[in-house]
Amino acid sequence: MQARGNPALLEREPRFEDITCSLASVPKLPRAVIRETRDVVRDARDFNDRVVKPRALELDSRKREEPDYLPWDFVEEANRRGYYSMCIPKLFGGHGINMPALAYFLEEISSGCSAMSNLIGVHYLGIATLCGSFNLRLMNRLMRDVAEGERTGKPCLISLAITEPGAGTDVEEMDLISRAKVTCHAKRVAGGYLVNGTKIFISNGHLSTWHMVIGYSDLDKPEENTVLMAVKTGDKGFSFGRQEHKMGQKGCPASELIFEDCFVPDENVAIDDEQAKNFKRPIKETNMQLIDYVLSASRAGVGAFGTGVARGAYEEALKFASETEVGGSLLINQEWAQCMLAEMYKNVALARLSYIESNYANGLHGMFKLLQWKPVFYLQKYMPQKMVDAVLAPFCDMKIATTLFRKFYFDMQKTNESQCTSGWASLSKFAATDAGIKNCQMAVEMMGQSGLRHDCRAEKHLRDSKLLQIYEGTNQLNRINLFKNLIGRSVPGAHAFEEGEGTS
Amino acid sequence: MSAKADPELSMLCEMAHQFAGGELADTCQENDRFPLAPVFSGVLEKAREVGFFDLTMPEELEGGGMDMVALCLALQTLCRYDASIGGVVFTDALAKEILVASADAAALTDVLSREGDALQSLIAFPSYRDPSEATSLTAVAADGGSYTLIGDIESVVLAGIASTLVLPAAIEGQDGYSFFTIDLSGSGITVSSPVVCLGLRACPAADLSLDGAAARLVGKAGEGAKYFDAAAARMGAAAAAMSLGIMKGSFEEALEYARQRRQGGREIVNWSEVRRILADMAVKTRVADMLVFEAGCAVEEKEKEWEQSSRAASLVVGQMACEMTEDGIQVLGGNGYMEDYGQEKRFRDARQAQTLLGLVPRRKLEYVRRVVDGESEY
Repeated sequence: MQARGNPALLEREPRFEDITCSLASVPKLPRAVIRETRDVVRDARDFNDRVVKPRALELDSRKREEPDYLPWDFVEEANRRGYYSMCIPKLFGGHGINMPALAYFLEEISSGCSAMSNLIGVHYLGIATLCGSFNLRLMNRLMRDVAEGERTGKPCLISLAITEPGAGTDVEEMDLISRAKVTCHAKRVAGGYLVNGTKIFISNGHLSTWHMVIGYSDLDKPEENTVLMAVKTGDKGFSFGRQEHKMGQKGCPASELIFEDCFVPDENVAIDDEQAKNFKRPIKETNMQLIDYVLSASRAGVGAFGTGVARGAYEEALKFASETEVGGSLLINQEWAQCMLAEMYKNVALARLSYIESNYANGLHGMFKLLQWKPVFYLQKYMPQKMVDAVLAPFCDMKIATTLFRKFYFDMQKTNESQCTSGWASLSKFAATDAGIKNCQMAVEMMGQSGLRHDCRAEKHLRDSKLLQIYEGTNQLNRINLFKNLIGRSVPGAHAFEEGEGTS
Repeated sequence: MSAKADPELSMLCEMAHQFAGGELADTCQENDRFPLAPVFSGVLEKAREVGFFDLTMPEELEGGGMDMVALCLALQTLCRYDASIGGVVFTDALAKEILVASADAAALTDVLSREGDALQSLIAFPSYRDPSEATSLTAVAADGGSYTLIGDIESVVLAGIASTLVLPAAIEGQDGYSFFTIDLSGSGITVSSPVVCLGLRACPAADLSLDGAAARLVGKAGEGAKYFDAAAARMGAAAAAMSLGIMKGSFEEALEYARQRRQGGREIVNWSEVRRILADMAVKTRVADMLVFEAGCAVEEKEKEWEQSSRAASLVVGQMACEMTEDGIQVLGGNGYMEDYGQEKRFRDARQAQTLLGLVPRRKLEYVRRVVDGESEY
């Protein structure tokens, strides 16, 4: 141990802290997290057996026949089971299950049907976006709407509206958005913003009550003039356009959202440049921080989707191989099939490890940090809900609460911390979703003629899986983001998203 | 594939382009909705009039009298626009190749001389399975040398629309399997509703239940595997041509989109990662083009090891098409995943086309078995 006095060795890439997220996290985790997660997985498997698998093919077919059909029956069932408020902290009226458990949950559901997994998981993308603003007053109001929706049996979902017809990849990276052609204009007016523009490919759009909409108060300088707002279905000037006709994940609508002089009052503005101007970092960097907080959580979730669909395909192939004779013997007893199944199993296992590690990073440095701190975890777990509502909840409506949370999350976060969460999230996103499509292709290939049939499920997994490589930033964007956060930072002269015109 | 050197092939290529551009380019998405949309029978009728069916059948039987290179050229051009029609042409041709391989002139004359519209002249066949994988039908000998078939068979391509079937079945008490022709209008046949598949949706398939359906033996009893292997060896090049057509369509749409779409302040074609993907697609397409042409020529000229060349081409080009169409969607991002564009259909069609002639891993094992057993060189 002669090098003990040389800490610089641990700063060398790969940095020690980046490769030991799990090692650093586990001792800090409350033990109850394991029990909670076990309960969540058990419940998800029950839901899979009773609802997801029996309905998956039917929903896919129905959506093909009736493109405008909305799966309210599924959403109501998920709502009845408490899945839309499951991971909302008790402080905001939810069940307070730890956030990493959601990824395990999504993997389970996605192994049956990734469209149905999306119908639940994308709601948490909306929640994460709302929480990324750390506007506690708005968080408290909207998330309590979700909890109320569970109580009354009227689902209250939250969507994220960010993609525009002319800007997909651009809107997820501040270095690109400065050159983007964005059109969703949020004009400052007395008492709020007047929004005009269109958002597309909005998952769960038609099913959601609240929409976290990203607009820009100056379309020429969007990176410094980003406005995150909550718009409610039914608000004047807001309407739904068409539902996209997708290749797969048909059960989850991808909606067009249209804003025509839609007034958003200040109380529904989660964050804008006015609120962010006093932060330690320049506004552009703060906006990137916000996006990183959200995407570091949501991309791990997409990694769970990818793991789930990889597992679903593997399970179909395993079932087929166990039941089918080819050339006079069961496929399961032919070595080539055994090796393919082992390869698929490996893909699932590694994909799962990637999202788990990504969430360990989120627990150490990202959005889950405070919630997984033992005193906070146990306080919200064991404090009676009435006491939470009476003692803690009013604190959320005080301006100081938002200020403190923003100080903690925005100003106190170190650059290397956001690099760790963002890099891991991108890695998990593209590794797990690539594994997803790989396994689907292997399953279809192994099953031959049966793999092509809708009634044998593997082809649906394949169609569904392709979307995972595209949304939450294409896998190309995520590779560059990983480069930016975990590779390029240590290479003198390296920069991401700024390729010279002549390079290609 | 290069057709420039041969005026006849050049004319065929031009004709296929004109036909597909006029009849398929604007309607392939709607046709793909089958069974929610009707079968594109009008297009098939015109395809027959133009001569895309029976292209390689003998002229004396009113076939086109052309070679495998011509069939490959026609298929790749049609599939550039819509692979489903390629699936119809391919299945019909494969069934007829089996009849040719059996040297059963009467059976071939019988199916080629049938009167009726384009649909009635088609032959249905389980194109996605090598019968040696598993044979689910049993043939029972009846009086006068005829047979009746019993059992269920899945995914018989064109079964819902054709009038004649060519099916494999094991004759009771005998090893191996044999082929039979069956008239779909006969008794003892139940056809399921169309099977919904991943791709080639306008080239429909159905499941069949046979309960004493009258069947005519093709060629000799127990020789089915020999006939299938011979037909599949020739049609490997044609399957590869279908995949090639899909690849060309995918690259063309990706390139066009990349030139138009702007992200990060410039057309995405000017980002080097997009170019790298396009380069992969372009190189694969060029290599596939060479492979298909060489395989088609090898088949037609009966070059040394032509069967293995054809089989290898179908395996490699089929895989290339699957990989490439995945990239084809990726270049278009979210738009590539939507039915408004052609890429998602090509992604599905490529995987479906790859399975023509049977289970891919097993075809690979059979390929190398021939080498191991000294039947052919590697």
